[in-house]
Amino acid sequence: MISQFFVLSLRGDNIVFRDYRGDVPKGSAEIFFRKVKFWKEDEEEEAPPVFNLDGVNYFHVKVAGLLFVATTRVNMSPSLVLELLQRIARVIKDYLGVLNEDSLRKNFVLVYELLDEVIDFGYVQTTSTEVLKSYIFNEPIVVDAARLPPLGPASMFMQGTKRMPGTAVTKSVVANEPGGRKREEIFVDIIEKISVTFSSSGYILTSEIDGTIQMKSYLTGNPEIRLALNEDLSIGRDGRSIYDYSSSSGGGMVILDDCNFHESVHLDSFDIDRTLTLVPPDGEFPVMNYRMTQEFKPPFRINALIEEAGPFRAEVILKIRADFSSNITANTILVQLPVPTYTNRVSFELEPGAVGNTTDFREANKRIEWGLKKIVGGSEHTLRAKLTFSQEPHANIMKEAGPVSMTFTIPMYNASRLQVRYLQIAKKSKTYNPYRWVRYVTQANSYVARI
Amino acid sequence: MAPPALPQKSPSPSQPSGKGEVADLKIQLRQHAGSRAPGADDAKRELFKKVISYMTIGVDVSSLFSEMVMCSATSDIVLKKMCYLYVGNYAKGNPDLALLTINFLQKDCRDEDPMIRGLALRSLCSLRLANLVEYLVGPLGSGLKDNNSYVRTVAAIGVLKLYHISAATCVDADFPSTLKALLLKDSDAQVVANCLSALQEIWSLEAATSEEASREREALLSKPVIYYLLNRIKEFNEWAQCLVLDLVVKYIPSDSNEIFDIMNLLEDRLQHANGAVVLATIKVFLHLTLSMTDVHQQVYERIKAPLLTLVSSGSQEQSYAVLSHLHLLVMRAPMLFSSDYKHFYCQYNEPSYVKKLKLEMLTAVANESNTYEIVTELCEYAANVDVPIARESIRAVGKIALQQYDVNAIVDRLLQFLEMEKDYVTAETLVLVKDLLRKYPQWSHDCIAVVGNISSKNVQEPKAKAALIWMLGEYSQDMLDAPYILESLIENWDDEHSAEVRLHLLTAILKCFFKRPPETQKALGAALAAGLADSHQDVHDRALFYYRLLQYNVSVAESVVNPPKQAVSVFADTQSSEIKDRIFDEFNSLSVIYQKPSYMFTDKEHRGPFEFSEDLGSLSVGVESADTVSPAQRVEASDNDLLLSTSEKEESRGPSNNGSAYSAPVYDGSSISMAASQTQSVPTFQNQALPAYTPQAILAIDDLLGLGPSVAPAPAAAPPPSPPPLKLNPKAVIDPSTFQRKWGQLSVSLSKEISMGSKGAAALTTPQVLLRHMQGHSIQCIASGGQAPNFKFFFYAQKAEEPAAFYLVECVVNTFSSKAQIKFKAEDQSTNHAFSALFQSALSTLGMS
Repeated sequence: MISQFFVLSLRGDNIVFRDYRGDVPKGSAEIFFRKVKFWKEDEEEEAPPVFNLDGVNYFHVKVAGLLFVATTRVNMSPSLVLELLQRIARVIKDYLGVLNEDSLRKNFVLVYELLDEVIDFGYVQTTSTEVLKSYIFNEPIVVDAARLPPLGPASMFMQGTKRMPGTAVTKSVVANEPGGRKREEIFVDIIEKISVTFSSSGYILTSEIDGTIQMKSYLTGNPEIRLALNEDLSIGRDGRSIYDYSSSSGGGMVILDDCNFHESVHLDSFDIDRTLTLVPPDGEFPVMNYRMTQEFKPPFRINALIEEAGPFRAEVILKIRADFSSNITANTILVQLPVPTYTNRVSFELEPGAVGNTTDFREANKRIEWGLKKIVGGSEHTLRAKLTFSQEPHANIMKEAGPVSMTFTIPMYNASRLQVRYLQIAKKSKTYNPYRWVRYVTQANSYVARI
Repeated sequence: MAPPALPQKSPSPSQPSGKGEVADLKIQLRQHAGSRAPGADDAKRELFKKVISYMTIGVDVSSLFSEMVMCSATSDIVLKKMCYLYVGNYAKGNPDLALLTINFLQKDCRDEDPMIRGLALRSLCSLRLANLVEYLVGPLGSGLKDNNSYVRTVAAIGVLKLYHISAATCVDADFPSTLKALLLKDSDAQVVANCLSALQEIWSLEAATSEEASREREALLSKPVIYYLLNRIKEFNEWAQCLVLDLVVKYIPSDSNEIFDIMNLLEDRLQHANGAVVLATIKVFLHLTLSMTDVHQQVYERIKAPLLTLVSSGSQEQSYAVLSHLHLLVMRAPMLFSSDYKHFYCQYNEPSYVKKLKLEMLTAVANESNTYEIVTELCEYAANVDVPIARESIRAVGKIALQQYDVNAIVDRLLQFLEMEKDYVTAETLVLVKDLLRKYPQWSHDCIAVVGNISSKNVQEPKAKAALIWMLGEYSQDMLDAPYILESLIENWDDEHSAEVRLHLLTAILKCFFKRPPETQKALGAALAAGLADSHQDVHDRALFYYRLLQYNVSVAESVVNPPKQAVSVFADTQSSEIKDRIFDEFNSLSVIYQKPSYMFTDKEHRGPFEFSEDLGSLSVGVESADTVSPAQRVEASDNDLLLSTSEKEESRGPSNNGSAYSAPVYDGSSISMAASQTQSVPTFQNQALPAYTPQAILAIDDLLGLGPSVAPAPAAAPPPSPPPLKLNPKAVIDPSTFQRKWGQLSVSLSKEISMGSKGAAALTTPQVLLRHMQGHSIQCIASGGQAPNFKFFFYAQKAEEPAAFYLVECVVNTFSSKAQIKFKAEDQSTNHAFSALFQSALSTLGMS
C-alpha cells in the first residue's frame, strides 16, 4: 500500500503532498529530493526510479518537468506503483488540459480532490478519468496554452519523456469551450518510436518499432467506436527468428511481434477482420501498444567520415539522406557526434544555401551538434567540421569518436505501415458527425550509426 | 496526514512564510463565517484555497482550526471537500478541536446525497483519533449497509482505518465478518476489492495473537473464494485485478487440471496494457507450474513477447521495472533467451541503470552460437563516452571469456583494448587478463607479450596495478624486464597509497626472486625493508612473515609463495542459489529490483500480507533438540537472523551493489592477500554471532580453514560402512552458526511438497510436538517457529558413519491444508534420497502413535 504521494518541481519544491498511512516520516520529500539530486555525484549516474532508504521505498517518475513520487514501507510490486504514478499524471493532465508546474500550482485543490479518490488509505481505487468525473467538483483553472512553449510535435521532446509523448491536445475533459458548447471530437494518434543501429559499413544491425495507438475522446454519451486496422496485419512471428530480415519485406504484410490492448478494447472481431471495438472512456489512453522487428525502410541514411588532416587536425563529414517521399517533411532534427576528448576547437562548414541549420561544439561533453529545422523527403544534407586537437591523436581516430546519433520527428509518416483503415462512430442521429482526427507521427528513439 | 514542515528554501511571492498572512486569514475567515450573503461561498473558496496552499508548502495553519470549522457549515461541496482535507491534516494535533467537527461530519454521513455521505464517512475515519472512536462505529455500520456502492467502498476501507486506530473496537463491532460477507456477495467489484484489502491486512495482523484470525486468513485462500474472485476478474479494474492475482498466487491447486483451468482463464491478462497486471499474471503462471518442468518452460516461452513489449512501451521508469523482472528470468534460464540477445543491446540514450541490467543479460545469454556477435557489440560499448558503462562492458567481455569455450577470439579483443590507450580501458582489461590467466594459463604467452608493453606509469587504479604486479611476479621468467619494473615500483614505495598494491608488490618480488635471484635480490631486500617499516598492519606482517620464512629455509619459502598452481575452474558465484530462489519466490516485488530478498530490506511487519514463509525472525532455537547446553545468548544470536548474516556477506562481495541504501558489511579487499584468495569463496566467519562459546567457535574456524571435519565428535568405533537403510547419528550436534553457514553454502538438492495426513496435522498444535517426534527418529531441530496453522522448522541430521555428512532440512508446514513443503540440502549427495525418504516416513507417522 502507498504511504505518501507527492509532486516536486525539479528545484525540489513541494507542489502537492498527500500522506495516506502516516507510517513514513514527514520529511520524506526532502530526504528523497536530496538523494535523487546527489545520486553518485562523481559518476554522473541518475537515480534509479526505485530505491530504498532507511526502510522506506521511494518510487518516482519524471513527467512534464515534475517528479511524481510515492513512498511505501511494504514490499510492493514496483510495476504497480510506477504504472500508478504515470497514470496519476495522466489523469491530472486530462483534467487540467496542460500538465506543468504552473497548471498544477493553480489547480492544487482540484488535484487534492483527485488524489483523495484515486487512493484511499494507500489502496488504489480508480485511475479512470471517466469514473472520477462523478466525484470531482472543482473546475479547472485552465492555463493559457498560448503562453506555453510552442506545441506541436516538438513539445514531445520538451516533456522530457521520450517514450510517452503527449498529443497536441491541451483541452481539459471537463472544461467547456468558449461559447459554452463542447466540441464533439475524437483524436486517434498512431505514434511510432523507431530504433535503428547501423554498422560502420551502413548495414542495419538492429531495428525495432515501438508503436502505440493513442486515443483521446471528447464525445458525449460514450458512443461505441470501431477502429479498423490493416486487413493483412499479422501478429507473432511463429517459430521464426525474430531477427530474420530475409523474408516478407516486399509482400506489404505488416507483421507485429506482439501487442497489448487497453482494457476497454473488445477483440471479438479482431481475428476475423482486424477491427477493434471499444467504448472509449474519457481522457487520453493507449488503445494498443505494439512492437515490430520486421524489416522496414529507415527514414534516414547517415554517413559519417573522420579523416586525419595533418598533425593535430581532422576533418569530419556528416551526410544525412532522407529516404522518404518528397511530400513529407521531417522536423526538429538533431544530429550528434562525440569527438575525441582532446578536441579543443571545431569550425563548421555548411553547404551553400543551407537554411535553418545550427551547429555547435559542446566543449564540456566533447560533442558536435547539428540541428536542422526541416528536412524534405528525398533531400540530402552535408556538414563538414574541422577539428583541432590539443595532442597527437592515438593510432585509430575512428575509435575515439562516435557513434552518430540522431533525433527527429516526422509527422504523417509511419515506418511500420500500420494504418487505421477507418474510424467508425456509432451514430446517435443523422446530424451527428463529430470531428475525427487520425494522425501519424514517427520519432527517433535510438537512431544510431557507428563509424 | 499533515504535509511536511519544510524549511523555506526560497521565499517567493507564491510561498509566503510569515505569520502575518495566517493572522490575516484568520480575520477574514471570521468575517465570512456566518455570512449567507450571495457570493459568500466564492469568497470562502478563495480563503480556503489559500489555507490549503499554505498547508502544502509547510506553513503551519493549524491555528485556524476553529475558524475553518465555523466556515464549514455550507452546502457547497467544493468547500466541504477543502474543509475535510484541512481537518484530516490537523485533527491529530488538535484532538479537542477535532471534536467540533464530529457533529457536522456525522450529520453529513446521513445526507441524502451519497457523494456527501461517502466523503463525510471517509473524513470521519481519517481523523485517526482514539478518543473519537466511539463516534465511528455507528456511521461505519450503516455505511457498510448503504445502498450506494461508493459509500460501501469508502466504508470498507473505513473499517481498516478504524482497526488501525483501535483494533479492539473494530473486532468487537464484528466488522471483519461483515466485510467477509460483503466480499462474497457485493455486486460492486470495487467494494469486493476493498473488503479483500482490508481483510488481508486485519487478519494478518490479528493472526499474531488469534488462531481464529489465522484460520480466516487461510480461508481466503480456499477454493470457493479463489474461484469466486477469478470468475469475476474482468469486472475488477486493473488495480483490483492485481490484488486478486496476488491472492491467487498463494492458492495451491489440488491437481493439474485445476492449474490449466486457472491458466486458461488468465491467459488474456497477458495482453493487458498495464504492466502490473501482466507481471502479476506471470507470477501466477510461474508459481503454478513450478513442479511441471515442461509446462514451466512453455510459460517462459509464452511470457517472453509480452514482457519485451512492455519493456519497449510506456515510460522509461515502467520499462525499467519490467526489465528487472526479465533480467531475473534471463538469469534463471539463460538458455531460453539465447536467441533474443539482440533485445538486450543497449541504446545510447538509456540510463545507466538500464544498461547495467542489459549488460548482465547479454553476459548470461552468451553461448557458442551468439558469442561472436555479443562480444562485437560489447566492444562497441567499450569505446563509449559513458565511462562507467564502458567499464562494465569490458567486464562483461571478460565474464563471457571466463564462461565460454571460444576464448581465443575474446583474448584477442581484450588485448586490443589494451592498445586503445585509454586509462580506464587499460585498467579494467588488466584485471580481466589476470583472471583469464588464472583460468587459462595456456594463454600466458600471448597476453604477456602485450602486457609487457604497458608502462606501469600509465596504470594508476589500485586494482589494475595489483593485477599488473601479480602478472609481473607470476610470469617474471617470461617478461624480460619484470625485475626492473618491480624494482622501480619498490623505489617509489612511499608514494604507493594502496595497501593492496603494496601487498601484491611484496608477493610479486618474492616470486620473481625465486625465478631470477641475481637480478632481484637487491630489490627484494629493499621491499622487505620497506614492508617492515610500513604503517599498514597487513603489509608489515606479510613482510615480516616472508622475511622469517626466507631466514628459516628458502626452499620452504618457495613452496609457500610460489607453489605450482592449478587453474581455477569456476570463480565463486556472487549470490547463493538460496538467495536467488528467494528472490524468485518474491517475483513482482521490490526484491527483484533490489536483487535481494525482502528480509534484507524490510522490517518484518512490512513484508506484505501472507508472506508466511518469511517469518524467520520469529523462529526460536529448538532448545530441546540439543543435548549440549544452549546458553541464552546463543539463542538470541541465531534467533535474530538465522541465515541472514551469511547471505549478507555474500551479497556484499558481489559487484551488484546497485547503490541502494542497504548497508551490508563492506568487504575489505586490502586485507585479502593473493595467497588467501583461493579461499575467498568461504564466507568470512565472524564469531560475534557466537559470543562466549569458545569451543564451538574454534571448531568452526578449524572447519573454515579446511583442517578436517571436526564439527562433532565422531562416534567411537564407527561401524563398517553398511548399505542403506541409512543410519543416522542419534546424538548429532551442530551449532547454529555452522548450520547457518552450511545452509548458505549448499544448494537445495531436493524440494518437494508432501501431504502430512490429517492426523499428523491435527496433532501439530505447537512446534514442540514435531520437534520431539523427529528427535525420536534421530533428526534434530535447530530452529522452529510459527503459529497454527503455519509452522517453520529447520532440521538437521548426521550420517552415523560419517561425522561430516550433515543433512539440512527446511520444513514449512501448513496444518490447515495438511501440507508440508520441504527443502533438503545434503553434504553427501549420494545418500540424499535415502535421507529424504527417511525424513518423509518419519514425518508421516506424526500423530499415529
